[in-house]
Amino acid sequence: MGLESSKWAIIFLVCWLYKNVSCNSVEQKIYVELNNTVPCVRLLNATHQIGCQSSISGDTGVIHVLESEADLEWPLSKGPNPPYMVLLESSLFTRSIMMKMKNESNRVAGVAVVVPNTSPPEFSPHTTCPNENTGVYSDNYGPNLAHCNTTVWNPRGNGLSYEEFDFPVFSLKEDNETEFIKQCYLDHNRAVNGSAPQYPLCAMQLFSHMHAVTNTPTCMRRNDINFSINPEMVCDPLGDYNVWGSIRPYNDTVFGHKENESVVIAAARLDSRAFFWEVSTGAEGSVSGFVTLLAAAQALREVTHAAPPTRNILFAFFQGETFDYIGSSRMVYDMENGKFVIDLDNIHSVLEIGQVAVHSGTNLFLHSDPVSRRNNTVNDENLVNNLQSSTAGLGFLLVEPNVSQPLPPSSLQRFLRAQPIPGIVLADHESAFNNRYYESFYDNAANLNLTYPSDLSPEEQLEFVTDTAKSLTDVATVVARALYKQAGGDESLVNTIKADPKIVTQMLYGFLVSSNNSWFQAVMAPELKNILKPSPPEYYVGVAMSSTPTRLVQYLLANLTGAATNLTQSQCQKPDELPNESRQVGVPLDLSVCRWIDVQRITMLTLGVGVAVLFTSLLVTYFISTKADVLFSSTREPASAAY
Amino acid sequence: MNLERLPNEEKLTLCRKYYFGGFAFLPFLWLVNVVWFFKEAFVEPTYTEQLQIKTYVKRSGLGFLLWVAVLTTWITIFQHFRAEWGEVGDYLSFTIPLGIP
Repeated sequence: MGLESSKWAIIFLVCWLYKNVSCNSVEQKIYVELNNTVPCVRLLNATHQIGCQSSISGDTGVIHVLESEADLEWPLSKGPNPPYMVLLESSLFTRSIMMKMKNESNRVAGVAVVVPNTSPPEFSPHTTCPNENTGVYSDNYGPNLAHCNTTVWNPRGNGLSYEEFDFPVFSLKEDNETEFIKQCYLDHNRAVNGSAPQYPLCAMQLFSHMHAVTNTPTCMRRNDINFSINPEMVCDPLGDYNVWGSIRPYNDTVFGHKENESVVIAAARLDSRAFFWEVSTGAEGSVSGFVTLLAAAQALREVTHAAPPTRNILFAFFQGETFDYIGSSRMVYDMENGKFVIDLDNIHSVLEIGQVAVHSGTNLFLHSDPVSRRNNTVNDENLVNNLQSSTAGLGFLLVEPNVSQPLPPSSLQRFLRAQPIPGIVLADHESAFNNRYYESFYDNAANLNLTYPSDLSPEEQLEFVTDTAKSLTDVATVVARALYKQAGGDESLVNTIKADPKIVTQMLYGFLVSSNNSWFQAVMAPELKNILKPSPPEYYVGVAMSSTPTRLVQYLLANLTGAATNLTQSQCQKPDELPNESRQVGVPLDLSVCRWIDVQRITMLTLGVGVAVLFTSLLVTYFISTKADVLFSSTREPASAAY
Repeated sequence: MNLERLPNEEKLTLCRKYYFGGFAFLPFLWLVNVVWFFKEAFVEPTYTEQLQIKTYVKRSGLGFLLWVAVLTTWITIFQHFRAEWGEVGDYLSFTIPLGIP
């Protein structure tokens, strides 16, 4: 009885202790984990690597909050506890500070940039001359126009996105965690009156180890060489799809030149980038262009069904244009090699919509290539006249800038590289970009002055027609009318073509504020609804086979230009009806991004198994040797010795 | 293994086998030869076969040092220049480090 009751008492005590004692992990007392961080990753092209790299087990450094550029002395030379983790406000995230830290990178363990909610006056990490080596201007074609000798397109560009850093660079949001870091610095790390701070000091560890190295040919070669036990990919090519659709559908199994077929191409770009991985919002850089083109496509739907124009109109949305024209160069390549439904000779003219949302006056500008116009090999006059006459009654004019100015960075340049084609790029800037945040994470809805009254619910915001939407609607109307005239449509019907501001504002809301809204949900296929999120989509071209903007534009193009049919769901999912749009693979030619995978577990497992085998074998040997006389026969033969 | 219980001819045969075996690109056999027969060759009082064993041990030692020199040179050159050799370096490597050239 006593034994049993004591047994029960022990069981009860154990259960009570188990319930009431809580575990305290030592790690949680030492480390505070930072969420909401975005790293800068490594990218490769044919000859170089750009971006940031950390050590294989992360970089640790003493936190230093930079107060001014002169304060850089502390981490770079005076501070007694290198390496330092430098925390920068966005105003100090400049080229001169980053390059100074790059030169002293043995004392700098990493950089963290605090991204504020309001944008600075200007910031563009891209180069001053985007895509200067892959456009049409070179030493053979307009040498005085190449390398931005006449017009610098992005004068605010500081080129940080194209530098290589040996330390990790992360972005932090301006929230409680960042306040905690700054408070820790003020409490422990701050040098008072020039004396060195004593230990313990606050430190930060950043981990963003990149596998890719050197350049794309090396990296892709190493992907293919797989000798080791754990074959793994070291990099992935940047890739996605272009989206195209035409007024009159093409049979997408018949490729090559089509007799007597003359096509007007209307083009826009889909993608954008930023210094940090994937956080690109590209409002003025890309969204303004493709939303205008989608609205123009919708405006043309009725009139092209009622009175089809002589020539076909093909709407093309190119992905990957930021990275040396991935999408447009692929389409030109396919056309040259007879792998596309039409040929370069079938192209009548090209109208490209560039950045059109940030006006510096009332006018918009028509850029063309001076070299081909001067040589009289192409005739842009018709297209210019059609465009300029389409603005009647809309309150702005389309002006041609000075004849000797080259084309801005645009997909049209890749077409001109192949053969001379009449083409115009429509933009809101006469020379340098109006966009103060070209290819940066600040190029968002605020850059377009996209504001909604504060008392609206999300559904009401979706329907509210903003001023930005109205101005883009006017541009879309001009584009639609000009395309119709250029395609040889009936002149008397031109003034009936009007873009719909409701559709434009819904698209702007969906692409710049929240993609998870009722209209996008209605348009997307049911199995793809999970790509819609309550934030704007990311416009980085990425390495996945199909990113959110590509999917959205694909389905929107189909919805806005197609005709509704009476089909059941199962009939709809079979691809044997005439599609009004289709997808084209846009595989890049020479760009790749690094990849990072968690290989720690695999290596630890291998090591553990090896050590276990070692100890097992030692144990077995020990046991066999102690019992040797029992296991082996006892008669010993002295002559034959075992080796 | 205990060499004391072996007759001298067998010791010589053993030493000779290890010496000739090392020529098959097996420098470790030469190292074993040197370490194992060192006492026999240089410390023990003289016996008939000791002279032969001595030459084998000396030659094994020389061969082993030669191998060490060659391998050290090659390994140093390879580790230093592998990145610069590009394609050739990658095809010669068994494991390629990640993230560094």
